[in-house]
Amino acid sequence: MQETVLPGANAPYSTLLYVLIPLLPFLGFLLNGLLNRKLSGTVAGLIGSATVLGSFLISVMLFLNFEYQYTVQLFDWISVGSLQIPFQYQIDQLSLIMLLLVTGVGFLIHVYSIGYMHHDENVGKFFSFLNLFIFSMLLLVMGANFVILFIGWEGVGLCSYLLIGFWNKNTAYNNAAKKAFIINRIGDLGFLLGIFLIYLTFDSVQYAEVFQKASTMQIGTGVITAITLLLFVGAMGKSAQLPLYTWLPDAMAGPTPVSALIHAATMVTAGIYMVLRANVLFTLAPDTLQVVAIVGAATALFAATIGLAQNDIKKVLAYSTVSQLGYMFLALGVMGYSTSLFHVLTHAFFKALMFLGAGSVIHAMSNEQDLRRMGGLRKALPITFLTFLIGCLAISGIPPFSGFFSKDEILAHAFEHNKVLWAMGLLTAFLTAFYMFRLLFLAFFGEFRGTAEQKHHLHESPASMTFPLIVLAVLAAVGGFMGAPMFTGGHHYLAEYLAPIFTYSQRLLPAAFNAEPDHNTELMLMGLSVAAGLLGIILAYVFYVVRAQRPAEEEAQRSGPESLVYHKYYIDELYNAVFTRPIMALSNGLYKFVENGIINPVVGVFGRAVNGGGTLLRYVQTGAVETYLILMVIGIVLILGLNFGRF
Amino acid sequence: MTSIILLSIFGILNLFMGFMRSNKVLLPGAMLLLLAVFGANLADWNVVHAPYFNNMLVVDNYTVAFTGIVVLTTIVLLPFSRSYVVAGETNLAEYYALLLFSLVGAVMMIGYNHLIMLFVGIEILSISMYVLAGSSKRDSRSNEAALKYFLMGAFATGILLFGIALLYGATGTFVLSDLAGAVAAPENASLQPMLYIGILMMIIGIGFKVSAAPFHFWTPDVYEGTPTFFTAFMSTVVKTAGFAAFLKLLAVALPGAQGFWLPTIQAMCALTLLLGNVGAAVQTSTKRMLAYSSVSHAGYLLIGLVASRGNLTGDAASGIFFYSLAYSIATIAAFGVLKLVADHRQRDDYAALNGLGKTNPLLAFSMTVAMLSLAGIPLTGGFFGKFFLLAAAAGQGYIGLVVFAVIMSMVGLYYYLRPLIAMYLRPAEEGATPVPVDGIQTATLALLALLSIVLGIVPGFLSGIL
Repeated sequence: MQETVLPGANAPYSTLLYVLIPLLPFLGFLLNGLLNRKLSGTVAGLIGSATVLGSFLISVMLFLNFEYQYTVQLFDWISVGSLQIPFQYQIDQLSLIMLLLVTGVGFLIHVYSIGYMHHDENVGKFFSFLNLFIFSMLLLVMGANFVILFIGWEGVGLCSYLLIGFWNKNTAYNNAAKKAFIINRIGDLGFLLGIFLIYLTFDSVQYAEVFQKASTMQIGTGVITAITLLLFVGAMGKSAQLPLYTWLPDAMAGPTPVSALIHAATMVTAGIYMVLRANVLFTLAPDTLQVVAIVGAATALFAATIGLAQNDIKKVLAYSTVSQLGYMFLALGVMGYSTSLFHVLTHAFFKALMFLGAGSVIHAMSNEQDLRRMGGLRKALPITFLTFLIGCLAISGIPPFSGFFSKDEILAHAFEHNKVLWAMGLLTAFLTAFYMFRLLFLAFFGEFRGTAEQKHHLHESPASMTFPLIVLAVLAAVGGFMGAPMFTGGHHYLAEYLAPIFTYSQRLLPAAFNAEPDHNTELMLMGLSVAAGLLGIILAYVFYVVRAQRPAEEEAQRSGPESLVYHKYYIDELYNAVFTRPIMALSNGLYKFVENGIINPVVGVFGRAVNGGGTLLRYVQTGAVETYLILMVIGIVLILGLNFGRF
Repeated sequence: MTSIILLSIFGILNLFMGFMRSNKVLLPGAMLLLLAVFGANLADWNVVHAPYFNNMLVVDNYTVAFTGIVVLTTIVLLPFSRSYVVAGETNLAEYYALLLFSLVGAVMMIGYNHLIMLFVGIEILSISMYVLAGSSKRDSRSNEAALKYFLMGAFATGILLFGIALLYGATGTFVLSDLAGAVAAPENASLQPMLYIGILMMIIGIGFKVSAAPFHFWTPDVYEGTPTFFTAFMSTVVKTAGFAAFLKLLAVALPGAQGFWLPTIQAMCALTLLLGNVGAAVQTSTKRMLAYSSVSHAGYLLIGLVASRGNLTGDAASGIFFYSLAYSIATIAAFGVLKLVADHRQRDDYAALNGLGKTNPLLAFSMTVAMLSLAGIPLTGGFFGKFFLLAAAAGQGYIGLVVFAVIMSMVGLYYYLRPLIAMYLRPAEEGATPVPVDGIQTATLALLALLSIVLGIVPGFLSGIL
């Protein structure tokens, strides 16, 4: 195994090359932002896409020539007392994989957006935000300390806010944007406190130093448990886990490419990246890992049940994203670290694919998102249909599509760890297959249920949109082979490649990394999960193709449990009643009594004192030299007089 | 040393260029000459020079750093003299030459190692400034400013010289390092009152030059009457050089008497902060507000003197350097924009800035960055300047002073935001035309805004150099 941490190792290329990776999208942001109204939509799109492509090509080059881990020092950033924060990039296996993911998938989605946003009047603004997002995300994954990570973290949050509310003439969309921002703030607070605690504990925020110091600590140290719990709160917000998940479904208000890029493939996986980055700390805190696993499994199952009854094509995908993110945290919680990243990658492929496919459908249907108004689209949209089918097969865990490998690995890890968590995961797999194929059958099979006008407009999307679909479909189909299980004769490239990232964790807890389930168990688990997926598909086929059932309309009577799921367990209403209303009441009270009653009068006194004092000074400032000279002499006499006793 | 020689030669060269009566080459010519000085000065960084002129002048990193600020400040100030070029001002070459000569004085104030050198430096700088304050000959306000400045300045110079004489009488030396020894271990205890009065007199004299309260009364009047171009020079170069001299005096010559002078400096600091900020809050003229604000910044810089504890290196000295740089950059931008606007709209109150955000977005943006930096808002150099100084003071345990400074900077926010309100929230007058700005002024303002922001985002590369 290669030596892990070489903070002093020199970067093999000139610093400029590393600077360019985030700088290119940033230049794109400036260019598109400043020339917003002067550029035509296509030119803006080309600038946006080309800059991300540039970053992608550099990342590929770094990836192919990667030999050892190193950091790239750009400049001394903040140095105050003992706090030294250099602006440094960390180039290692984890950041390279994330770089490839962010820029690769990012590039495809930029290209797709050229077609998708064609009719919009603010294309330049859209691409500048999208580029700013890529810039922030690249900072997030490249930073060599928690502070740069945090800057990127906040940057992507800001872009998410801007893009959810991109169509800001619609109040509901603005509210969705605010909701995303505010709920993320709750998580960010935890993350920030975690960083403070890290600095207090390790006297540094540099990854290399913190993790090196941590690796000598005892497993189960109280302060590490506190740090990791706080970090996990941050991850819960960003990666939409229970109980902070409610913003993600609403975030679907943004343009569909945004949902694909930010709210499926990249930003929401930042929480997972952060836990992976700090894996040593989490390995030291088994209690936190237990919490992570339970929250992950619960979120996976919970969101999957909500997905069963949604009728908005993007909402179904949103709940499925929450559910899949739950899987990833489940993997982290049972210490399947590389497995979790594996699922991040495959999920990015198939979920971005499905979102873009949904976008293609919405585009063809003249902005209709309701599954009840679709049907029979496979004839009009053949490429979209085929690629979407591949995505559904991948997420349902049908071999040999990519989702099968990563999901199976997660379930295998969970099985070793805790049978209940495994059962929850398996049930989720079944539900996932069911609701995804429900969506597929409702949209693409049966009779067309939209208006005659929509039917008239139906068309396959332009090449700029189908090209990314095809590329992602290929990746979703074969992406799993980067991590094929050993005994099948495959080669787990990804796990081997990532191994150095987990060196400290492995030293601390070798057992968790070496355990290899026997092949019979593994085969049995695999069979079960495939069976669950197939069962889900068959049931969906029976319900929605054979019996041609249609979801009930909005106002229809629903039975108790059905209504509960349809209304997403009334979680939004619950939060509203438990948090929002009391806080609003409290704020109103504070405003009335504290603000108006106490603060304003006090501040007013202060302001009047300053004004009054200033007016008094004006009398002194006569403009006459003799006054000034007298005042100076008084000053001199005062200074000499007050110091008189000390001569 | 090279910078003093170059500045003197270039000053004379400028006068000769004036004979050719070609105003067009003067401005770029002066800028290029100053750039050469800037480069020559930087070449002395980390180079050890023996003291010059019998130990009267030293060139070390301290001298290079502060000289860098004053030269850079003058370079970015020059483009705003364009209106003189356009108006065919016949004395332009003399103005530039006086600026260069006064820079010689500033460099001597920074690099002195001998009290006579300090005095000569201050006088070279001051006399140039008396002339430049009155350079607008037909404007009675300018004449008034020059006379006021001269009368008060002469008074203060007398006090300063008195202090130097008493110091010499008590210790028998003018050289800073010898003074340090004599102050720490006096040979004749009966001379101690003389020494202490001398110290106070010097503090008063330099305090006047940097407009520290209660010797700041001339500042608003003189700043207001002086042509804006030269006001900008006064409030940046004079102040930076003054504080460099002040710090050197206290840190090199007088650390032994720190217990004596510290309470006086602390009291002056608190008073300056109070009078500067409260005075600025009630002004209606932007220029006068900036004058009071320059008093208040002297207050923040005095915090650095309090925290320096007789150290020419370390947190406090670095803080003073960083603060002076950030303050100079923001002040030049503010005065530059104000001059352009006031020349065009013929007024300099807040209302003169009305609607600037619509008519001249760049000027408005530049002014905004400058105001935010002066107010000490994060992501600008002014924030880190304040932060470093206050952190140094807090680290030495002067919590009360730090709290007071923070409260006063809240008052500062009130008047620094007023230009912003005028520019962005108030409509321009009917028929207001955009203020004409030429290419080099645009570039300079953009550069200044960029510098303020860069200092606010990556302070690391300049924060610990002393």
